Amino acid sequence: MADFNNSQNRDARPNRDSRGGGDNDQQTNRADLMTVEYLDYKDVETLKRFINEQGKILPRRITGAPAKFQRQLTRAVKRARLLAMLPFVADNVR
Amino acid sequence: MATKPNTYELTYIVNAVLSEEQLKEVVGRVQRHIESLGGETLSTNEWGTRRLAYPIRKKRNGYYVNLYFRAGGEIIARLERLLEIDDDILRYLTLKYDAKMLRHFEKYKGEIPRTRAAEAQAAAPAPAKEEDEEE
Repeated sequence: MADFNNSQNRDARPNRDSRGGGDNDQQTNRADLMTVEYLDYKDVETLKRFINEQGKILPRRITGAPAKFQRQLTRAVKRARLLAMLPFVADNVR
Repeated sequence: MATKPNTYELTYIVNAVLSEEQLKEVVGRVQRHIESLGGETLSTNEWGTRRLAYPIRKKRNGYYVNLYFRAGGEIIARLERLLEIDDDILRYLTLKYDAKMLRHFEKYKGEIPRTRAAEAQAAAPAPAKEEDEEE
């Protein structure tokens, strides 16, 4: 197992805040996500920013989202999928 | 009845192949189910016909209805059974609202979520972005 407390390791990790919200102008602000109290499954436009074109939920590693937000995101995406507002698997890979 | 009432959100998808009157009838039927079980509807929002992200029972479109109601927890199982039996209802989701969700609900009451996302995008970037992105 990796030693997470190793200071060299720590320095090698990218700065959380420097990790963007994926490509283009959809850069999402970490501080903004931190204030989200409840992420609604009905807010499909927001959810779409955190899934890839296959329909998979993007890992925090990529989006830099706070853990609390990520948990809410997971729940919201799964609810949206159940109601066919988001795909389980996107059409282009099926 | 026995338990104290909670606030619930129910979203269901009606078979969009039905005629307008039939759709209305289904919405009314669900409404009556809730009332007959002792629930009190707070608001109903019909999103209309939308394309499904994947086919359900060979249907590609669905008529979405979103509503909020107050009721005791014991009616949920019975309500869901009625929805399950109903052949015109493709899918449903019932959620119990906790304090955080209620606050969220109060804030955006009656708003169609699709428009809200667009609004947030238009409103947010200017003040919030520059502050925290130290680059």
